[in-house]
Amino acid sequence: MTHRCVHAIPLLFIISALVFLLIHAAPGGPLAIYLSNPNVRPQDIERLRHALGLDRPLWEQYWSWLAAFVRGDWGYSFSDGRPVASRIAERVPATLELVGVSLACAAALTVPAGVYAAVRRGGWFDRVTASASLAGMSLPGFWFGLVLQIVFAIHLGWLPSSGRATPGADDFADHLQHLVMPAAVLAVVLASGWSRYLRGSVIDVLGQPFVVAAAARGASRQRLVLRHALRNALGSLVAIVAVDAALLVSGAVVTESVFAWPGLGSLFTEALARRDYTVLMALLMLSASAVVLFNIAADVAHAAIDPRVAR
Amino acid sequence: MTAVSGRCLRRTACVILTALAAVACRGRVNPPSNDLLIVGYDREPDTLNRFSTHILEDIQSCIVEGLTTTDERMRVVPLLAAEVPTVENGGVRLHTDGRMDVTWKLRPGVKWHDGTPFTSADVKFTVDVINSPAYNPESTDGFDRITSVDTPDPLTAVVHYREIYAPYDIQFIRGALPKHILEGRDLDRAQDYNRSPLGTGPYRVVEWKAGEYILLERVPHYWRGDEVPKVRRLLFKFIANTNTRINQLKSGEVHVVALVPWDKYREIADVPSIVVTKTPGNAYEHVTLNEKQFPPFADARVRRALMLAVDRELYARTILDGLAPVAHGPIQPVSWAYTDRITKYPFDPARARALLDEAGWRPGADGIREREGRRLSFTLITQAGYAIRENIAQAIERQLRDIGVDVTVQLHDGTAISSIWFEGRFDAMLHWWQMPSDPELTTFFAADRVPPAGRNINYFRDDALTELLYASDRTVDRRERKALLERAQAIISEAAPEIPLYNVTRLDAVPATLANFKSNPTNVGIFWNVHEWEIK
Repeated sequence: MTHRCVHAIPLLFIISALVFLLIHAAPGGPLAIYLSNPNVRPQDIERLRHALGLDRPLWEQYWSWLAAFVRGDWGYSFSDGRPVASRIAERVPATLELVGVSLACAAALTVPAGVYAAVRRGGWFDRVTASASLAGMSLPGFWFGLVLQIVFAIHLGWLPSSGRATPGADDFADHLQHLVMPAAVLAVVLASGWSRYLRGSVIDVLGQPFVVAAAARGASRQRLVLRHALRNALGSLVAIVAVDAALLVSGAVVTESVFAWPGLGSLFTEALARRDYTVLMALLMLSASAVVLFNIAADVAHAAIDPRVAR
Repeated sequence: MTAVSGRCLRRTACVILTALAAVACRGRVNPPSNDLLIVGYDREPDTLNRFSTHILEDIQSCIVEGLTTTDERMRVVPLLAAEVPTVENGGVRLHTDGRMDVTWKLRPGVKWHDGTPFTSADVKFTVDVINSPAYNPESTDGFDRITSVDTPDPLTAVVHYREIYAPYDIQFIRGALPKHILEGRDLDRAQDYNRSPLGTGPYRVVEWKAGEYILLERVPHYWRGDEVPKVRRLLFKFIANTNTRINQLKSGEVHVVALVPWDKYREIADVPSIVVTKTPGNAYEHVTLNEKQFPPFADARVRRALMLAVDRELYARTILDGLAPVAHGPIQPVSWAYTDRITKYPFDPARARALLDEAGWRPGADGIREREGRRLSFTLITQAGYAIRENIAQAIERQLRDIGVDVTVQLHDGTAISSIWFEGRFDAMLHWWQMPSDPELTTFFAADRVPPAGRNINYFRDDALTELLYASDRTVDRRERKALLERAQAIISEAAPEIPLYNVTRLDAVPATLANFKSNPTNVGIFWNVHEWEIK
């Protein structure tokens, strides 16, 4: 465990260098947005380039970014001049709320759907969930989100179409109303993949000799499925969930954009469009660290669920 | 097992349905009122400091006022100035050695929101700060020609220019910085000011919630009188996704959306609670022909042939849905410098073919014209994500093929495309220029203003035109300047350095109950007269 954490450090350094190179290689830079204004003259561009330190050699820019980053100084946003750390911090609650609720809902959908479909393999429920999952996985999130908006916000008028709260009226019910559609989109997309995976694993486990043996010993069907099959199948599902859980840190880029959700995902979209290098670097390093850490956490969790893995 | 799972499923379904029922009370929709008007805004501002921001200044203009502004017909009108200085009223003095003095008389009785009087010292401070190396404003255009500012009294600022600067009347359109709170501060990091600027305008910032909204509230003693503005609060919601923004407009969650994309017009045209106003813009969509990258464009016959081969009237009727008129040149009808006495190019593919024949471009085996082994084949780049632009690009591709010209359309994201054109790495580009309210054309057409020195990305050279344009920049007398610019427009239309397509007409959606709304063709935006707005 410690070993893996230590290994992660050089990995993150390599990722940081690659990401830095990639975002600087993308055409346009933080100053490209100024070019469309005819009042901004070449001498203005040069002056700003120098002020932002963009006229220095790339390695030097990377080095000064890295030296500051490891000391906890994430720099200032190229777009609004505020500290990157506070720009990120103010977006964290919205993303944790949306992704947290979506993960929980997705898990709540996945377990019954995946298990029941496995137990009733080939039955109507299995066929329905198979089609629904296929649809959930293939529907583009932005399209699904817009359809929900048209139905529930414009035609039925039940729910607000986007945003996180009604300004000035953000009580709990209002908050919940705003959360329903984006969380539903995200949860459906996540659950579609997870439930197919869980169904497969449960079917696998149900065919194993120890389950057959347990059945022969007279274990009830309920005990067989929930204690033996589900517990064994969950271990491998955890690894998939852990990767998706990185959304907690990266933000759900598409869903947040469609629902104007003020989380890390929409900050990323905005920073990308403006080539806000400092914000992009910080967000990408957070996501990379989260993927690495959640994978380690998934191994730990898998070991806790399944003692064979720990050995 | 069936019973267990069935129960489990039913329980889950119950929980979901209860949750849905709990939240599915009708969404709270506030109709537009004089208490609150909600604006769907396409992005979050970077800063509210008008000199630092690099996006539209809609929100800023509700808070910070300029000495002048431009009105709905793009005329420069006084705001914090008592009048617009001109040669006639003695406000502008030209010296024989080329220097120029502009005397600004400020409106008496104007106070900053904190009660401090607004004076000429603030104007002088603004010039000094912008010209100081310690601050990084978006542009120092014009300010860098100012040698000093004298303040003989609190309501008079005399601005000394080292040379004639024709757009002097909009020099302070972005207002002034309050000396009493910003003196000695690092403006790039003065977040208190940049997030909630002290202004003289009708509104002030109450709350800026990152990623969500900015809420403005009217100030108690606005200088125009306590009875204005009528609308108490303005809420700017940041909704970057166009579809979502339009959906919010349709559901009534936002009341105002500026710059509605044309392809969304039909979606909202019939919504009874909304009026979509059309305002001729000060921008034009056109195809830039880069002579440096694709030398065949250097031949005027080729450029004219391309112009004749695209049916712009057809595009305006069909793709643009009749929302925007065809443009014939860079200066738009809304500008005082516009003239109609220019060469126009009707749709005439036969003449286009004849011109290409005359220029030596003969159809090859596949129908594409060739000359001395070179094919008349180029790439047309444009920004991805704009349905209308993509359709126009395809129509051009098709129509030019009809006269034997091969066009390949390439789409790029907005940031990428800016750097591509700035470096001149393209053959042809479909895009628009938002023109400055002052009709300066030098940066777009003078021979020495190719990148990085300017925006002549046609890389077009015409010495007579260049001379005319520089002369117009050094002319303050409007009649003389108009005559020079009219001649420049005639030369440009004759030489056809680019293909103007259509005027970028503004569509703004506002509540049907909103009175006194007047849009604005410039970057000043629709809130320039927000103090007059009223929900009836």
